[in-house]
Amino acid sequence: MKRFFKDHGIWVLLATAVISVALAAMSFFSTDASPLVDLAGIIASPFRSAYTQVAAWFNDKQNYYQDVTALEEENAALHKQIAEMEAQIRQAQDTMEENERLREKLNLPLERYELELELANITAHTVSNWTSSLTLDRGTDHGVAVDDCVISSTNDLVGIVSEVGTNWCTVLTIVDTDTSLGAQVFRTKDLGVAVGDFSLMGEERLLLDYLPAESQLLAGDLVMTSGLGGYYPSDLVIGTVAEVQRDDSGTASYAVLEPRVDFSELSQVFIIKSFDIVS
Amino acid sequence: MLARNETIFKWSLYAAAAALCFLVQGCVLQAVSLWGVIPFLYPLVAAIPATYEGSLAGSIFALAVGVACDLLLPAPLPCFYTLVFPFVGLCGGLLAQSLLRAGFLCSLCAAAAAFLLTDGFHCLLLWSAGKAAWGTGASVMLREFCVTAVLTVPVTFLFRAVYRKTHIYD
Repeated sequence: MKRFFKDHGIWVLLATAVISVALAAMSFFSTDASPLVDLAGIIASPFRSAYTQVAAWFNDKQNYYQDVTALEEENAALHKQIAEMEAQIRQAQDTMEENERLREKLNLPLERYELELELANITAHTVSNWTSSLTLDRGTDHGVAVDDCVISSTNDLVGIVSEVGTNWCTVLTIVDTDTSLGAQVFRTKDLGVAVGDFSLMGEERLLLDYLPAESQLLAGDLVMTSGLGGYYPSDLVIGTVAEVQRDDSGTASYAVLEPRVDFSELSQVFIIKSFDIVS
Repeated sequence: MLARNETIFKWSLYAAAAALCFLVQGCVLQAVSLWGVIPFLYPLVAAIPATYEGSLAGSIFALAVGVACDLLLPAPLPCFYTLVFPFVGLCGGLLAQSLLRAGFLCSLCAAAAAFLLTDGFHCLLLWSAGKAAWGTGASVMLREFCVTAVLTVPVTFLFRAVYRKTHIYD
């Protein structure tokens, strides 16, 4: 056995190194996953799905027997929230009508986004302590592509598709260190860049950087995608400002953002396959 | 011919043991978060067989484990684990050859070296991307090692069983 490695060890090493370099090169030059990565993903998909289903079944059973009092309290809180939101909707309806009338008077076309969505199930959550990712059960077969945005059912941004295979894709969440998104503060309209920071990733937070020096942010301010450059759709909620800090020079400020999505609670998401501005 | 068959059998058993570890990681450990981190078996799978099989064979096995990890896990580089795991295997092999006899203590030390190399490389890549986080990186590395250290016992048992099964006449 030892002789085998003495005689052929260097060739085995060379062959594996060539495969690795080929893999790396294929991943670098291709927008989709390389064939081997794709195959590994396809093989792993049923296991991931089966595990997720078993885990979901256990969670369902556990939740079923949870304290009824807590559910009643939550129900009462939700009733209150619905009443408040209904009042807000009524107010928003008036504002929309007024907006429409004014647009008609000024001959301004009404602009809105039309999103092409694909519903996807999450088959695996974060797989290492150095990335924050999700694996979904949709891939190129369903029209998913790298850099597609992924949102929750409440329109909150979850992450960006980083790798896609035939029937699976990997999403790097917005708290991952690879994140870099054009962002806008809803209240002040200040522009910045939402970037992932490894020190904050563990707390499931991210940074809002490159803010204007005169920016006056407050804790709780809503931050959304700016949509500048047309790369990602605008008005997807990234999160809220948790704290505002000044950099070492004291000239620029940055904010720590808390995403609105709880990644561990997610089980289904929507992939934005395409978006168009329609008038 | 027999030697070749034995070699194939041996490495098939090692591959099966590694696959079992991958399955446990994917199905069980992925859902467990202790001290803010998930236990991470892959560096152990790269390091521990090398303590039994020596630095050359161990490095090649670790390289194969690295390729498998790169196929399954997202990483900052497409060949991140393929690059770092051969060094992990080499360290494990050298440790067992020169300092400690292959066993639980040796596996623990090899695991420490494995996390140092893997997480050190992560930190280096973050630094090269202008997102240096040495302090947080060190903290994650320490917690990752502490949480995974307990698992060196079953993993060592598993690979020692494979080693004993395939080295009866050595």
